[in-house]
Amino acid sequence: MVSFIVRRLISGVVVLFVVSSLTFFMLYFSATSVARNILGESATQAQVHLKEIELGLDQPLFSRYFDWLGGALSGNFGVSWFNSQPVVESIVGRLPTTLSIVLVTIVIAAVLATLFGVAAAVRRGWVDRLLQIVSIGASAIPQFVVAIVLVTVFAIGLQLLPATGYVPLTDNVGGWLASITLPIIALAIGAVASTAQQVRSAVITVLSRDYVRTLRSRGLAPREILFRHVLRGAAPAGLTVLSLQFIGMLGGVVVLEQIFALPGLGFLALQSTTQGDMPVLMGVVVYIVIIVVVVNLLVDLAVGWLNPKARVS
Amino acid sequence: MKFRSRVTAVALLTAAAITLTACSGSGAQPASSDGSAGTGGTLTIGAFVDVKSFDPAQAHIGHYVQYYQPVYDSLLRREPDGTLVPMLATAWEYNSDNTELTLTLRDDVTFTDGTTLDAEAVKVNLDRFRTGNGPDASTLAQVSDVAATDATTVVITLKAQDPALLDYLGNADGFIASPAAIEGGKLATDPVGSGPYTLDKSKTVAASTYTFVKNPDYWDPSLQVYDTIVLKPILDTTAMSNAIISGQINAALLTAKTQPQAKGAGLTEYNYPTDWQGLLFFDRDGTMVPELADVKVRQAINYAIDKETLLAQVGKGLGTATSQPFGKGTDAFDESLESAYPYDVEKAKALLSEAGVGEFSITMPTVSGFFDPALTAGIGQNLADVGITVNWENVAGSDFISSLVQGKYAASWFSLFQGSPWVAVNQIIAPEATYNPFHTTDAKVDTLITAIQTGSADEQKTAAQEINKYIVEQAWFAPFYRPDQIFFTDKNTTTEPQLQQAVPSIYSYAPAQ
Amino acid sequence: MTETLAETPQPEAAVRTGVFRRLLKNPLGLTALIILGIVVLTGIFGPVIAPFDPNKADLVNALAGPGTDGHLLGTDSAGRDVFSRLLVGAQSTLLAAALAAVVALLIGLPTGLLAGYFGGKFDSVASWCTNVLMSLPAIIILLAASAALGRSVWISMTVFGVLMSPGMFRLTRTSVQAVRNELYVDAARVAGLSTASIIGKHILFVVRAPLIIQTSIVCGIAIAIQAALEFLGLGDPLTPTWGVMLNEGFINIYGSPILAVWPGLAISLTVGSFVVLGNALRDALEDAPKFKRTKPIQLTPPRTESVQAVDLAAADHLLSVSRLGVGYPQQGGATKVVVADVSFHVDRGEVLGIVGESGSGKSQTAFSILGLLPDEAEILGGSISFDGIPLVSAGGNRLSQGRLSELRGKRIAYIPQEPMSNLDPNFTIGYQLVRPLTRVLGLSKAEATARALELLTIVGITNPQRTFDAYPHEVSGGMAQRVLIAGAVSCNPDLLIADEPTTALDVTVQAEVLDLLRDLQARFNMGVVLVTHNFGVVADLCDRVVVMQNGRVVESGDVRTILRAPREQYTRTLLGAMLEGKTPMSTLTVTEPAPVFDAPVKVGL
Repeated sequence: MVSFIVRRLISGVVVLFVVSSLTFFMLYFSATSVARNILGESATQAQVHLKEIELGLDQPLFSRYFDWLGGALSGNFGVSWFNSQPVVESIVGRLPTTLSIVLVTIVIAAVLATLFGVAAAVRRGWVDRLLQIVSIGASAIPQFVVAIVLVTVFAIGLQLLPATGYVPLTDNVGGWLASITLPIIALAIGAVASTAQQVRSAVITVLSRDYVRTLRSRGLAPREILFRHVLRGAAPAGLTVLSLQFIGMLGGVVVLEQIFALPGLGFLALQSTTQGDMPVLMGVVVYIVIIVVVVNLLVDLAVGWLNPKARVS
Repeated sequence: MKFRSRVTAVALLTAAAITLTACSGSGAQPASSDGSAGTGGTLTIGAFVDVKSFDPAQAHIGHYVQYYQPVYDSLLRREPDGTLVPMLATAWEYNSDNTELTLTLRDDVTFTDGTTLDAEAVKVNLDRFRTGNGPDASTLAQVSDVAATDATTVVITLKAQDPALLDYLGNADGFIASPAAIEGGKLATDPVGSGPYTLDKSKTVAASTYTFVKNPDYWDPSLQVYDTIVLKPILDTTAMSNAIISGQINAALLTAKTQPQAKGAGLTEYNYPTDWQGLLFFDRDGTMVPELADVKVRQAINYAIDKETLLAQVGKGLGTATSQPFGKGTDAFDESLESAYPYDVEKAKALLSEAGVGEFSITMPTVSGFFDPALTAGIGQNLADVGITVNWENVAGSDFISSLVQGKYAASWFSLFQGSPWVAVNQIIAPEATYNPFHTTDAKVDTLITAIQTGSADEQKTAAQEINKYIVEQAWFAPFYRPDQIFFTDKNTTTEPQLQQAVPSIYSYAPAQ
Repeated sequence: MTETLAETPQPEAAVRTGVFRRLLKNPLGLTALIILGIVVLTGIFGPVIAPFDPNKADLVNALAGPGTDGHLLGTDSAGRDVFSRLLVGAQSTLLAAALAAVVALLIGLPTGLLAGYFGGKFDSVASWCTNVLMSLPAIIILLAASAALGRSVWISMTVFGVLMSPGMFRLTRTSVQAVRNELYVDAARVAGLSTASIIGKHILFVVRAPLIIQTSIVCGIAIAIQAALEFLGLGDPLTPTWGVMLNEGFINIYGSPILAVWPGLAISLTVGSFVVLGNALRDALEDAPKFKRTKPIQLTPPRTESVQAVDLAAADHLLSVSRLGVGYPQQGGATKVVVADVSFHVDRGEVLGIVGESGSGKSQTAFSILGLLPDEAEILGGSISFDGIPLVSAGGNRLSQGRLSELRGKRIAYIPQEPMSNLDPNFTIGYQLVRPLTRVLGLSKAEATARALELLTIVGITNPQRTFDAYPHEVSGGMAQRVLIAGAVSCNPDLLIADEPTTALDVTVQAEVLDLLRDLQARFNMGVVLVTHNFGVVADLCDRVVVMQNGRVVESGDVRTILRAPREQYTRTLLGAMLEGKTPMSTLTVTEPAPVFDAPVKVGL
């Protein structure tokens, strides 16, 4: 168990190293003239040149890379080139927004997808067909279209929910919930639909297992077989899908945070990309990879815990 | 028939999604009140940019000033019409040849950290501004020395005259921070000034909400109309429009495309020009595109552009077509130049054949999200109609300005801020101007520039008008129109546009009567 | 009398035409194919048939409504013809999507083939890289890539293709691993075929279908991603894709919302069609019949006089099955009959053997009694009654599952064929024994535990506590079968249905288990239905025997009589097979394992 975790963590660190190094090298060779962007349109070329030296842009690749790596290893990702905020601070400041949305959506997706997926698998018939139709619709309509429709109807038309902005949970629970409701709906529609599909096929697979028939032959109630045995058997597949959904959502929030003007990690990623704010972009990539590695580890542990075979080995 | 119903459902869903979006304009309710009637209350402003640093040495004009104005006083204050009035400086006086400016300061001002604002503090701030390599540091390039001669007197010595200096001191350059806080080194995120408000860090979420609360000891309570001012950076125009229509913010800058919706929602609209848009011919010497060296070719392009139609379609008619790069309300403005180059394809073709150039092509940059697709297509088509092919190059927004400034393109469309004549000269006309990457000039322009810089007020005005006329004749640029800034407040809020500034100053807001 | 039913298997051709035909029969799949066909044709011929130059701007006539001046769908904000742009946009949109798919295939397919075929170090490295790629959020990577490599739809689609390659890799690798050790690949290897031609001929063939599905899905996601990148302002406005058009529609959403409708519709329909096509293809593959070319059986009375119809009035039988018919409805209204007109009875304390080859309908008969037929199966006729309770009445009414589950476990028990797959791998053996005891017999947990341990001892397990605490994968097959037998008899059933209880076991273990069964049968005085293909087992254990072939009863009667004087040729063949010590010849075609596909995972945008 411990050695499993250790091995996975080492693998995670390697992933982190590879991804961040690749990103760094890619960004190094991009031609973004960041000093000019920082100073704005009225600065002189001399100022721009000075700024480049200030930022160390005149340094050779490896000197910059090792500077960054050294800092990163000690937890210091530098300071944003644009707003002079420490990168870690601005990422940590934005994590609550993104995690609020993504985690709540994951919980909703897990619950609803299980409900719909199991219903579709067990009942088949119209429930199943409805799920198919909704899934196709959800995957065919781009997420940002859904989001824009939601804003237009619920924020501007009915004025039920705020159109933009984020209220921290610690400030006001009601406000927090209101501020993340629309983004969550936009994110959840696709997630629920596709997760439910996966749950459905996992449940169908388990339902067709021999041992389910045998359990039924023992006189156990269908409800007990479904909830105790079938769901348990389908859970690893469901968890894996949810972890993939989670990773997908970390990207999906980029679009939503833009539409809802939410100060989250995705928006930070987009902003640092468009500006060429390399320290921030590197920081975002590192944090996201860390989150992903941790989530994958947790999912693996959960799957192992659910599956006695994996548990022992 | 199952399949048909499924496909129909998908189609209907998509259509519904889009129709719903379309209907929104009519369904929108007037923005709700947030209790800001009368004095006091909270003013929430949507800002189009996020503050980069609260350090006044890094301050920038335009959209950014609204972040500094609550926390910092400036040396002078610009009234909405551009008139300079006292703020921290009660009086200011130039010497005879305009190379030495003496400022007299108030003696009753303290910073919110309790320290006193004096001449030494002003010196520290001005010196930091011109050496700190902030975005606007170059505006103080002519300053050779700042001296605090006594507690309330500051003398600024110039290398050469700068007709815009006083304006600068009423803008980004004039914000004064507490020297103690400067020493502390945390000014970028923890501003300490003497302004009417202080930043409430506990109610501030970087990049999302900046809350400013009334400074109880402020020396001029007339500038403290609201108890609280909240600035919310919203970088997406649609999100901005949604925010003001749904009542989340009281004031916002919108765009021509979002204007009808806000207007339909019963919000108060303010229109004022701050920019001009059009083509900049950088390569006037013909280094990259030899044809551009010929004034007739540049004039032909001016005639070939259908300015009115571009304004109507791209700018939604919100603005004024023009042929001059200098703005209304500046000394250089000349009403007769407004329509110097009417849309005339035949004339354009005639000029081109006079110039003896055949068909040729120009490579110009375009930026996704910044260039309206209709604009790119319109320019391309107008020029194609007279035999000039535009090869568009897709450039990242972050590379656009530097590619212009570094002379990578012979010409480009751009939207430029219209300041005073001296500002404009340094922006686009002087040999070392930012947007003169090929450093082109001629003797007449040089003479006129000197006159603007060093002449008396009257001489400056004449020279400005002459230089305007000359570069329009010489077709250094092909201006299309001055787009209106489209600013909205809700019905509980009023404001007043600020001359030559993208958004109103903080001081201009008041609850509606 | 006996027909040779064996036919030369032609799985390849059969599967191919079958899948395609089934795809066409699926209305959704057909619609998706038609839409995609139109879109692809548009992509090829769009530039030729476009009525206007798609880039010809005419600002004066910008935002004209549909139908104005010959503009079928109106003009956009630059006065360009929307319809022409839509036609031309199809080309760049599809090419960009195809680029992503091709890149994903070019990376995923060869690496997947090598990793699956050779395994080893290459496999572990490739799999690790795959895991890394899969754990990266696509949009974030595309953001970084656009910052680094520039804004071009071709660059972003290439990067996206790389990000999608793990899907291709995994599918290929899994499929290859599955077939690698299949007999025909071994045979090919023995026949001296080179590795390359094995991969080319056999393995590529197997992975082809899942890859087509995955390609369809990747294309759909790629188009959606293009639109999202455009929306974020990271696109390339100079390549007229649908995403560019949609973005322009959004810029003008308040003024001319209809501009967003056309590209929106085109994108949604195309993406939706790709998804539907993927699903329909998978359905078509999964629905591939498990028994190919089974001869349809007519519901005619049996021609052999040896079969006596059971007198339903004889209700003192423990179990009586009368003229039972079971079938599976097929697409197109036909029904595949698997059990026809089967009648027999079992008395208390009697062991009845049902003998036949696989596919003869004997297991289906057993499941009918238990009420555990798959959902798709239908009882076509006949009746089943257990101890006077009509499980299936002559009218075709089945006893409700609720009433049935009261009988199951308590009065009718079941021993399955394959021990390992019939224990839930996620629960301990103890739990699986104790739970029915508490639910069915109402024992307390402690009593049930004690009883379970006792049962484990009875079935001959030497260390019952260890087995009790073990998970199914921790015990041997023989032991698992003993556990299943213990479970079956745990509630003292009156009727035990044993479906090939020894087939999956070693020969020595087989004998032990048979002994055990005989012993238990005597101890609990149960009626037993023993389903087997093996006459040896019948001879060993049964009192009477029913011989089945192709869903019908061929012959039935006293074991001794039938062993000594089989009347039917078929029975003799089966007997002969037993005497020669061979497994009976199979009359069935080789069935390919139905490929299992990962359902599409929608990557968040």
